Amino acid sequence: MAEQQSGIIARLDRLGRLVENSMLVLLLTSMILLASSQIILRNFFDSGFVWADEVLRILLLWTAMFGAVAASRQNRQIAIDVLSRFLPGRWNSLAMTLVQFFTAGVSGLIAWHSYRFVNDSRIYEDLLMGDWPAWIFQSVIPLGFALIAYRYLVFGLGSASRVIRGEGARA
Amino acid sequence: MIVVSLLLVLLALLGAPLFAVIAASAMWGFANADVDLSVMGIEIFGLAEVPILLAIPLFTFAGYLISESGAPRRLVRISNALLGWLPGGLAMISLAACALFTAFTGASGVTIIALGALLYPALKEAGYKESFNLGLVTSAGSLGLLFAPSLPLILYGVVAEVSIDSLFLGGILPGTLMVVMLAAYSFWVNRHNRAEPGKFSWTEVRDSLWEAKWELPLPVVVLGGIYGGVFAVSEAAAVTALYVLIIDVLIMREVSLRQLPRIMQESMVLVGGILIILAVSLASTNYMIDSGVPDKLFAMVEALVDTRFGFMVALLIFLLVLGAILDIFSAIVLVVPLILPVAQGFGMNPVHLGIVFLAAMQLGYLTPPVGLNLFIASFRFEKSITSIYMATLPFLLILAVSVVIIAFWPELTLYFLRD
Repeated sequence: MAEQQSGIIARLDRLGRLVENSMLVLLLTSMILLASSQIILRNFFDSGFVWADEVLRILLLWTAMFGAVAASRQNRQIAIDVLSRFLPGRWNSLAMTLVQFFTAGVSGLIAWHSYRFVNDSRIYEDLLMGDWPAWIFQSVIPLGFALIAYRYLVFGLGSASRVIRGEGARA
Repeated sequence: MIVVSLLLVLLALLGAPLFAVIAASAMWGFANADVDLSVMGIEIFGLAEVPILLAIPLFTFAGYLISESGAPRRLVRISNALLGWLPGGLAMISLAACALFTAFTGASGVTIIALGALLYPALKEAGYKESFNLGLVTSAGSLGLLFAPSLPLILYGVVAEVSIDSLFLGGILPGTLMVVMLAAYSFWVNRHNRAEPGKFSWTEVRDSLWEAKWELPLPVVVLGGIYGGVFAVSEAAAVTALYVLIIDVLIMREVSLRQLPRIMQESMVLVGGILIILAVSLASTNYMIDSGVPDKLFAMVEALVDTRFGFMVALLIFLLVLGAILDIFSAIVLVVPLILPVAQGFGMNPVHLGIVFLAAMQLGYLTPPVGLNLFIASFRFEKSITSIYMATLPFLLILAVSVVIIAFWPELTLYFLRD
């Protein structure tokens, strides 16, 4: 898809990948270190951080969302995909266009409705880990789905242009 | 309603990401029931309320790291040293090695790539027949799903709300049965293969064990820790991840610091793909349970089959078809919440259902036309997919027999769970 993007979009895309990759590394490393130090503290020093379990679960949510966004950029979401193998070139492109716009639409809807959930949580001043506003941690949900929606919109536009030019789909 | 469902199934078959299909059906259901759709946010945030899920990224990362290190090669060397001298011995111990490896790396096809690629030439050198070798490494690629700490077992525990420790105990004998049956077949097929049984040498056994001195404690510590009740599962996952990180990167230095970000990122892409499906299906499951789908399903099934025996037959057929079209993670997340209440209605133990479910799904990895292992093996060993089908067939049939035994002999699963 790179050749269709102008300079600034391509640069944004690279920046996005870099941010996602760094976040995944950072999140995973924090999970490993925090979870192991919890075990060491508990077994050898009979202590531990009271906030650790909640932080670990938030880290997991963030990892899940960033991992899902990263999966969508390579179009590597888990899918069944049995029919498209049997479709001839142009029909395959058409099917892909349909599927990608559908995915973009669904992700966009989730992003919007989870944004409303996060907004409510902000208005009602929900708290996590004692006195942290919950919406900060929850906002990864609308953000992640918005990014997935954006990615599939770009895929869909690419596939649509191949349908118009009468080309087969690309893997 | 039916039109929408059919449309969604069609989109799924055309290759729409499963999370989108599931989310669409959940939102459609909620919208029809006049539930505010911001409930999607609440349900997805539910991911952060299941502590055990932490085990999934940690074990996945450890598995990816192990398969990038020299561990597969050392495992093959030990196998060869211990049983290479026996007719069929290398084949038998290959099965055990693959099962152990898969239990730790989570059955994502990585066993075939990391271990199968080493075993395949080793088997050939030991004089086994080509098609036997292909069938063996392909089918062994998903053996071990039933052993702790495999990812599908953990995921089933999360979805079915069954204690993961009981599942780990329940999987021991059925998993062993599968390995033993394939091993017996390997022995039988190769009983006349006396080409050149390698020599047994204590020095080689000692050297190969010494070479693997850093990895050998891992299964002992993790499995001993879990079964002995020292660690919770997510703690065992943290210990495994940290331990593997230290030995592979700092002590043995087989994985450089520079490779680490790529391995972390690749493993987390798989985790993200699984967890996003779990997240949206938390929503769709709640919707379906609220609207009484499992009860209706139970009534429907009860009208068709009236005995436990009949239910089990229907279940097995259903799972075989399911396994052939859906990957194991999506199948667990999507189907278990629906069939668990039905199975319990027929008096089936949830741990037994889990083991039967996973054992049957394991066949799905090998079932034409879309079994994942078949494609991976065809790609990795550069053989046509049809030759892989043929080579795998005897192994598939034996595994199918073992699944039937596991299904109709619940005591095998529940042996360690009595009292």
